[in-house]
Amino acid sequence: MKTMKIGILCASLSLLLAAVLSAQGKAVTLSFGTHQSGLPVSGIVQQLGADFEKETGIKIDFQIVPDAQWRDLLKAKIQAGEAPDIFCSDADPLSLYDRVRPDTSCIDLSSQEFVKRMAPSVLPAISYKGKVYGITFPGEKIWVYFYNKDIFAKLGIKAPTNYAQLKDICAKIAKTGVVPMYEALQNGWHQVLPLFESGPYYQTFYPGLYDKLNANTVNIKDIKQLKTIVSQLKEFADLGYYGKDFMSNSVEGDYKAIADGKAAMVLEGIGWGTQAETDYPALKGKLGIFVMPWGDNQIIGINPASNAYFGNAKSKNQKEILQFFAFLAKHENLQKRSDGDPQALSMCWPEIASKYPKEYSDYLSKLKRGTVMQAAVKYVDSQWMDVGKDLEAMYAGASTVDQVMQTISQRRDEQAKLQKDSSWK
Amino acid sequence: MNAKKIYPLYFSYGALGLYFALFFFPCMLGLFYSFTDWNSFRPEINFIGLDNFRNLFKDNTPYLLYFGNTVKFTFLTTVWKTAIGFGLALLFTRRSRFANLHRMVIFSPQVLSFLIVGLVFRSLMHPSTGFVNLALQGLGLGALRQNWLTDLHWVFKTIIAVDTWKGVGYVMVVFIAGIQAIPASYHEAAIVDGATFPQRVAMISIPMLVPSFMVVTVLNLTYGFRVFDIIYVLTNGGPGYATGVVNTGVFKEFSKGDYGMGTTLSTVLFLFITSISYFIIRSMRTKEVEA
Repeated sequence: MKTMKIGILCASLSLLLAAVLSAQGKAVTLSFGTHQSGLPVSGIVQQLGADFEKETGIKIDFQIVPDAQWRDLLKAKIQAGEAPDIFCSDADPLSLYDRVRPDTSCIDLSSQEFVKRMAPSVLPAISYKGKVYGITFPGEKIWVYFYNKDIFAKLGIKAPTNYAQLKDICAKIAKTGVVPMYEALQNGWHQVLPLFESGPYYQTFYPGLYDKLNANTVNIKDIKQLKTIVSQLKEFADLGYYGKDFMSNSVEGDYKAIADGKAAMVLEGIGWGTQAETDYPALKGKLGIFVMPWGDNQIIGINPASNAYFGNAKSKNQKEILQFFAFLAKHENLQKRSDGDPQALSMCWPEIASKYPKEYSDYLSKLKRGTVMQAAVKYVDSQWMDVGKDLEAMYAGASTVDQVMQTISQRRDEQAKLQKDSSWK
Repeated sequence: MNAKKIYPLYFSYGALGLYFALFFFPCMLGLFYSFTDWNSFRPEINFIGLDNFRNLFKDNTPYLLYFGNTVKFTFLTTVWKTAIGFGLALLFTRRSRFANLHRMVIFSPQVLSFLIVGLVFRSLMHPSTGFVNLALQGLGLGALRQNWLTDLHWVFKTIIAVDTWKGVGYVMVVFIAGIQAIPASYHEAAIVDGATFPQRVAMISIPMLVPSFMVVTVLNLTYGFRVFDIIYVLTNGGPGYATGVVNTGVFKEFSKGDYGMGTTLSTVLFLFITSISYFIIRSMRTKEVEA
């Protein structure tokens, strides 16, 4: 009897083990590597991932890495053949190869049905040698300063239109104990925005500047307005207009800082305001916008591309990856994504209507527009995080404005030579 | 007669084969690649002589700073870990209450991953929300609040303090093992002769612990020279490049796709570690014989 009981127990355990093993064998988990900024803060992509799992049984394992480390980490992983099944990367036509090695590391999506539905303007950012390798969702990227209207009204100040006005209002705000401008260096990229988003403004002084930079007939360090902006950023840090702890701040902290009235302005993507109003309803109607006036700029920079998702060509689960991309691209899921992400004011899918607040679209329609430097000039976006470190060193007192300019130029030369760029011979 | 006891040479062929395949060959390959322009953008590899080594000395590059920081980090963490570890070992080998508990508590950071330690300390050291500054403020010492991880004056000291905190327990354990191996009769005889505690430490413990010092120094030096994790997670080499070390530079070069330059940095580091370790072991062996 005892032997029989042991036999039954062993048989049950074996069956259980076999069931577990077979279940493990069938279940597919797709690893999805991304930086913090690669996913909307609302969590809608994770929600869509859960919906996908419910529908197909395929689990999406989101692996989120701090912004400051993602670009280097992803490149190292791709080159070591250890990239996740799906990876998110900033995409632009000039840096795509450097970043994700599409021809060898990414699944060719050219024949997928959803490719035809994406706006043609974003395709160059996710294509290489005529093939489409990525799927992207955000619409054109625009960065503006958001300001707290209450603080401005209390101090009797207006949105600035040049650097002198900006400096003047910051002095007034600083006197009240409020940090005039929320800045955050921990993510590594935010501090770089004024330098290259102001590219269209530089072009007004140097016609054909982007082409000349790409042909290496103009050196980036010789752009006077760029140097002026770097100097102004340094001046602001020295005057304390970013607050005391800006070098330890993270971009994600800006919602709370503005909502609590501890900071008066922040440089953010155009959709930030609607996200802030959703998270902090007290901010409703209290946020205004203005174009970044560094170096007296009044032109709005447009970046046609944003981040995109790529499938790992070395993954065992390529079929499932394509299934996930097709799921994300279903019309109802695109709409769900748009509805569930207050920050996404527009998407690069013409079938989804944009939802710009009237105040923003009215303001933006009055401004001149131009393509940002990182989307049109070679070896700019690929050194974005390095420039972030250069500026950090400058703020810390370890380097000067001239050294920052020199290093940016030198790094362009190095990258061009490494890639045997014919314009650098 | 004696020759019969010696094992034949071919017994070592297996081990030598593995050593050559896994250690010697990769080292030589690394050395070779440091003279090339090997990168991820082009399949061909060209011999470029000493160009990569020359680039180490170019203006506006952080490479020399990386080497300086690596040496500084190694020297300071070795000194602090050895001094504090030795002090704690002396303390916890005397008859003290709950000695084992104290040993365990001091050793415990050793088992934590660098990632966890880095994340925890980044949070503790945050200038406005971190425990350290809030505690100082609470104790009425607000004037001592610092930007621990972003102020050039403090950041390296902070990294060294965190690394020492994490590694000192291991050093302590090595010294405790060494101290416990010293015959008690030596100390008893010295006590009978009227030697004080510091005299016994200086005249008995330290000379008897030369092998432990040797082990600890070599371990600390080799760890220090190849440090990466703690710096990567605490500061990512910042602010700017102020706390970058050779291995953060290697990581950067590899992620940029400039394998040749990354290998050059590794090669220089390898040669540096090998020569330093060789001289240290040699000098300590001499001292051991003299002692």
